[in-house]
This record gives sequence, C-alpha cells and structure tokens, in this order.
Amino acid sequence: MRLNGVHIDDTFAEAFPMLGTRLVITADTPAWVQAAVLSMTGFATSVIACGCEAAVERLLPPEETPDARPGAAVLLFAMNKAELAKQVARRVGQCVMTSPGSACYAGLRDGPTIPLGNALRYFGDGWQIAKRIGARRYWRVPVMDGEFLCEASTAVVEGVGGGNFILLAVDRRAGLAAAQAAVMAIREVPGAILPFPGGVVRSGSKIGGKYKGMIASTNTAFCPTLRGTAPMSLVPEGVESILELVIDGVSAEAVAAAMRAGIGAVVGLGAAGGVVSVTAGNYGGKLGRYQFRLHEVMA
Amino acid sequence: MSGVILTPREPAGPPIDMTGVLPERLAEGGRDALAGLMLVRGSKRHRLDALFDLQDGGPSGALVLRPGGAVLDGVGAGMAAGEILVEGDCGAYAGSGMRGGTLIVEGTCGAFAAAEMAGGRLRVAGDVGDFLGAPLAGGTRGMSGGTVVVAGNAGDRVGERMRRGLIAVHGRVGSLCGARMIAGTIVVGAGCSPDLGFAMRRGSILLSQAPESLPGGFVDGGVNDWLFLELMRRDLMDNGAWPVGFPTAGTRARRLIGDRSVQGIGEVLILSKA
Repeated sequence: MRLNGVHIDDTFAEAFPMLGTRLVITADTPAWVQAAVLSMTGFATSVIACGCEAAVERLLPPEETPDARPGAAVLLFAMNKAELAKQVARRVGQCVMTSPGSACYAGLRDGPTIPLGNALRYFGDGWQIAKRIGARRYWRVPVMDGEFLCEASTAVVEGVGGGNFILLAVDRRAGLAAAQAAVMAIREVPGAILPFPGGVVRSGSKIGGKYKGMIASTNTAFCPTLRGTAPMSLVPEGVESILELVIDGVSAEAVAAAMRAGIGAVVGLGAAGGVVSVTAGNYGGKLGRYQFRLHEVMA
Repeated sequence: MSGVILTPREPAGPPIDMTGVLPERLAEGGRDALAGLMLVRGSKRHRLDALFDLQDGGPSGALVLRPGGAVLDGVGAGMAAGEILVEGDCGAYAGSGMRGGTLIVEGTCGAFAAAEMAGGRLRVAGDVGDFLGAPLAGGTRGMSGGTVVVAGNAGDRVGERMRRGLIAVHGRVGSLCGARMIAGTIVVGAGCSPDLGFAMRRGSILLSQAPESLPGGFVDGGVNDWLFLELMRRDLMDNGAWPVGFPTAGTRARRLIGDRSVQGIGEVLILSKA
C-alpha cells in the first residue's frame, strides 16, 4: 500500500492484553497539575523494567473535573491487577499526594477495582476521614497544606498494550518531524497513550539477547548502523533513522484509532516529509492476542 | 403497570400502621396482594381494602398515599425498592429501616423518620419530628446509609448514633443534633442549638452559621479550604438538597473538631460565604 508516496508495509503490530486504569489529577493551577502528573508518570515507559506504562491522556479544563479545578487524565497499564495496584498506590502516594494542592479521583467507574485512597489513607495516621458523596467514597487525608482528597478506589479495565508502528526515514531530522506529527495526532485520540519520552522510542527492542539474563535487547533488524552486518536487517537503502511509536489503550478500538491517527499524520506529510515507509513490530503473531494490520487500520 | 392510589375510607380515628405497605408488594403480587394485606389500626386488624379505597393512578409501580387527615405511621418502613408518594402528612416512623427506593412526603413527618435507615431516599417537604435518622427506641445504631432531605425544620436528636449516609435539613434542627454520631454527614441550613455533636466520634456536620456558642468538647481547628465541599455541593445541588443560603461557591470553612471529651475527631464545618 502506498499513501501519499509513503509505503505502508503489509504487516501487523502485535499487542498484548494489559490491565489499565484512568486517574484524574487536579490541582490549584495547570502548572501544579503538570508537576504532579509528570512526576507520577515518570519512569513508566515500559513494563519491562518500570512496573507499569503510564502517560497523560489529556489535560482537563476545570469544567471537566470533579472539583472544578484544572486537571489531567492519566492512564496507567500493567501486566496484572496486583502490579497495577502496587504501581498506582506508589505513584499516587509519592508523586500526587506530595504535590501541593493536589487531589486524585478515579477516571473509570465500571468493573473490578483496585485501591486508591483505600491504600493511602493510612498516611493519615488515624486522622483520615472517609466521606461518601453520592455513590462515591473518598478519603480525606490531613497534610501540611490542608487536606489530600483521594477517591477510595478506581476501576480497572482490560486494555491493550504494545500497539505500535515504526517510521523509516531518510534521516533523523525527518524521522523526528514525522514522529512528532504522529504524536500530536495520537494525543487527540481518547483512551490511548504514548508512554515513551515525548511519545517516541528510538531504542526499540527484540525479545532476548546474546547475554544471559537479558529479556530484551536492541532491535538489530531496525538499526541503520548495522545494515549489512546484522543478520536479517530490515533497513532499506537510503534509510538513516528509524523511530517507533508504542501505544497503550483502554481498548483495541482505541489503539487502532491512535495508530490510524498517527500514521495518517505521517502520511499527511507525504514522501517529501522524508519518511520512506511505515511498518510495525511483531513476533510472528505467536505472542500477542491482538494484531493490528496496518493495511486494515489505514483502509 | 400503573401505580395505586390509597385513600383512607375514614380519616378520623386511631393511627394506621402502614408497615408492609410497600411498592415491592405491588410489584410482586399486584393490586390484589396489596388489598389483602392486614393492617393494624388502634387495637384491631383490618384488611387494607377495608381501611383504604384503592384506585389505579400515579407513577408506574408507585404507591400514592392521600392521608386526608388520617395518621399513617410506618409509611415506607423497611422499603427496599420502588417509590411511595405521600400527598399529605405522615405519622411516626416514616422511612424507618428503609433499604432502598424513594419516599417522597409532600407534608410533614412525625418522630423517628428514617430511623435506622440503611439506604434509599427520603424527601420531606415540611417539618419532621424528633429522632430523624436516629436509632429506634432501644436500638444502638442510627442511620447507616441513604439520603434524607428535609425542606423544613427537624426536631431533637437528628442523626443520633448515625453511622453513614446524609441528612440535609434546610431549616433549623433541635437540640443534640449529631449526638453520638459515628460517621456520615448532616447538613443544617438554618440553625441549631449549641449542644450539637455531643459525644460525636466521627462524621461531619455542615452549618452556614456558627452556633451561638462553641459546642463543649470541641476545639477550633481554624479556617481552611475543604475540597470535598465542592464535590458535596455539586452532588447536593444536583439533588436539590443544598440548603438555600448555603454558599454556592468556594470551599472555605471553619472547622471545629470533637467531641474531644470522648476522643472524637468528628467535625463541625461552618461554611464561609464566597
């Protein structure tokens, strides 16, 4: 398939089921919202070593938050419920509760739950207060600038992690420009996040490696500097830079929509933008439950 | 299925115990099952249709009571689902032990309204008597869930021994409001006596104006911003339960903590005008 001069490979992105949740973080000002969520979603690029994958889904105006203050919706994904609960408690406890003026609410209502305030209330050392408002339960934990308000629990959804596509560009500048255009487009898609720095991965990985204990190592097939050297190199002539966008979403539909938006933005730049082709990472279809075929996504 | 309207055949006379006259019965057995219920009036038992005239009407599946001067005790007592609309006054025990559903009273209620209520909604357009949301006589547990909204005034011991749920009284409350309260929320629109929160351990009492004197056993925690008030205001405003005269913006309030005489950490929040 060729769209606007950009070759779309006839392959698929292989993705996996993950458990995810959405949290809504608010604070007195947008700057303090940013401070809290940047801290909370730090070091959350890959479950390989971070425990979870997390990023800001979108910023929220005051009229869309429970307490009429600026806020942000954050999505977090992990491989199982126990790990997700652990990561949520740690990250909210260490990064949100510590941030001045912050509050934390569940962003999903339906389904099984994991503790949120229920896990953090003990910080109140007996002075915490439970408060039911409508159908929801909150914890009010006394802190040094007043009170940290946190919903008692948050619902968990079975989402999809590892949706992806890979841009093969003539040079790094062109690759980055295309990747950034894709990131901007994907950030408009509800229910999907890009957990890597700036939304882009430059060190894509393959499973395992030559060294004992390595569960992942550099994706030699897509390293331009190894063309002609590494076995099974997939880097065509004229390609100097390859970047990957990894997408997690609350549903397969959200991931597909994000891929469509991202690839669409790249295609919109056309061949003149410097992207030669778009492909995707997979493991032969043997590991992941979800397959996002690029031709079907872009049909 | 249409609702059923119950009108007393002889309004004058002793109170009628309405316990068991519930929308669930109507849903399960229809109008005939309802008509055959045995009710106590004074010292005698009667079939419901001997005491009431039954007509189809009202909201689907709902019971509509038109007391017309009769004293109806125990309206909605133990109700778990459905809706009862009372076009007039209720006697004692309205909504006591309610677990779900909605009871709307267009007039007043007597004592022990919502006593030991565990869920559902009670909305009263007029005044209510003593022991609103309190334990029944001899009981040790007050309201443990649900929502009560009273547009008028309430008597003494509102929310006594309350464990959970919300009581919003738009008017005044009598003495010992929230006495021995364990948790939950009481909102008082107009005023209260200084003995509120006696022996209170946890829970919140929201006021728009300070009592004439500080309740004994309470300490002044100062003024601060309380974010949960914004959430509570939104929720109550959506349900018409936020008292007129309460601030419609802002989260500042003075917090009194107590009752420290029983090591309580309940709170009386006096909301500031924005």
